Amino acid sequence: MGTPVRSSAADRPGPRLWDGAVVLAVLIAAGALFWWLRPAGGGALTLTIRLDGAVAAAYDMTAPGVPETISIDAPWPLWLERSGNRVRVAQSSCPGRDCVHTGWIGRAGEQIICLPNKLIISLTGGQDTSTDNFDVIAG
Amino acid sequence: MKKIGSLLGLGVLTLLLGACGAPGRGSAAQTPAVREFFAMDTFMSVQVWGAGGEAAAAALQTETVRLEGLFSRARAESDITRLNARAGDGTQVPLSPETVQVLAAAGEVRRAVGGTFDVTVAPVMDLWGFGAGGTGCRVPDPQALSRCLALVDGGKLETGDGWARLEEPGMEADLGGIAKGYTAGRLVELLGEYEVSSALLNLGTSTIAAVGARPDGTPWRVALRDPRQEEGQIMVLALSDRILSTSGGYERFFEADGSIYHHILDPRTGWPAGSGLLSVTVVAEDGALSDVLSTALYVLGPEAAVDLWRTAGDFECVLCQTDGVVLVTEGLEDQMTFGGEDYGYTCEIVRR
Repeated sequence: MGTPVRSSAADRPGPRLWDGAVVLAVLIAAGALFWWLRPAGGGALTLTIRLDGAVAAAYDMTAPGVPETISIDAPWPLWLERSGNRVRVAQSSCPGRDCVHTGWIGRAGEQIICLPNKLIISLTGGQDTSTDNFDVIAG
Repeated sequence: MKKIGSLLGLGVLTLLLGACGAPGRGSAAQTPAVREFFAMDTFMSVQVWGAGGEAAAAALQTETVRLEGLFSRARAESDITRLNARAGDGTQVPLSPETVQVLAAAGEVRRAVGGTFDVTVAPVMDLWGFGAGGTGCRVPDPQALSRCLALVDGGKLETGDGWARLEEPGMEADLGGIAKGYTAGRLVELLGEYEVSSALLNLGTSTIAAVGARPDGTPWRVALRDPRQEEGQIMVLALSDRILSTSGGYERFFEADGSIYHHILDPRTGWPAGSGLLSVTVVAEDGALSDVLSTALYVLGPEAAVDLWRTAGDFECVLCQTDGVVLVTEGLEDQMTFGGEDYGYTCEIVRR
């Protein structure tokens, strides 16, 4: 029978202050990394109005003071109506008025498009929508 | 030395701990490359996942714009504008292979659906004001409608090797009912040239290509809008490697004298189709087919649409009837989560 082997750790007295500091540092660093790698998005539900590629206006839909009606000075002028977190094109002078027919939008990811005006009205942010039961709406 | 090794080990542990449960900002697997743009008279959005996502998304946009340049009736130099300009003069108009392919495919489907889809319906579309760039819709004068209807005959659109010809003066082709579906198919092909894992292509909400699976490995979830209430969805379809097209009369329409007139015209009568359907969704591997059939089945009505599905075998469909019954062909049964009961619909599975 050979001589029993003792690890060097077995000779060491209990945990030292240095060990505790390292563990604490690891936990703090892991927490920071977790925060940094958190999913992007979230934040307040934001209404963004883009006209021909440029942002014409943006509103935090959760903040007080978002107007009930928003007039848009586009080639075919139109105005939006807001009700709570929902918004729609209430009237438009564009030829097809498809934007009016789109109706209300109220959730992050939804959009209203007015092709003649090259206008995109979109809702972003808000609650995490990853739990919604769909990725895209067809129709 | 041992201490340095321990510190390195702890560093790795830190990274692992931090990465656990934090589904990846900046991770190529989780963050898609996105392009949004106006093309083909609609607003498009493409999302592509994978290492080659950025290059692929840019290529998809470029290809879409290129195809629009061939297919658009509003472009002075497009293939279709040149074809229409030579209608009736006997010229075999030289066209790009893609345009000939689309025209030939449209002709084939036209025969299969008894003329309920016809790319030569353009003069009638224009008369109603539904054509691209129209400045207003109106109910046409019956005599004018009759004159325009005489120009609608896809049988007089001939295609050959690299050319096409419209036989009668005044005839016009419009690819609005097939271009987006064809483009979706072409874009899916193009994705094969890049290092991508999956993609979701939204070509104006009426045509969706679901490529591969979601980043979590499950199929893409495509909701179908309730045709009667814009905020509702009648069902969600779980799709992978399929192209979906939807047609309905609920977005493009106008009111006159208390009646509603929508944009899906029956090429046989020149009037908006009224066959008892609110919307039609077609799912197929072939984008051009799904696009054309969504319109054709809408015009055909539920009975003839189901008959066609029973004989065809290369598509599945959802037929939302005006009486609130939603017919779903059996190939979609396992992929469907029906939610229409909340909006007054009932679901029936159609079997072969």
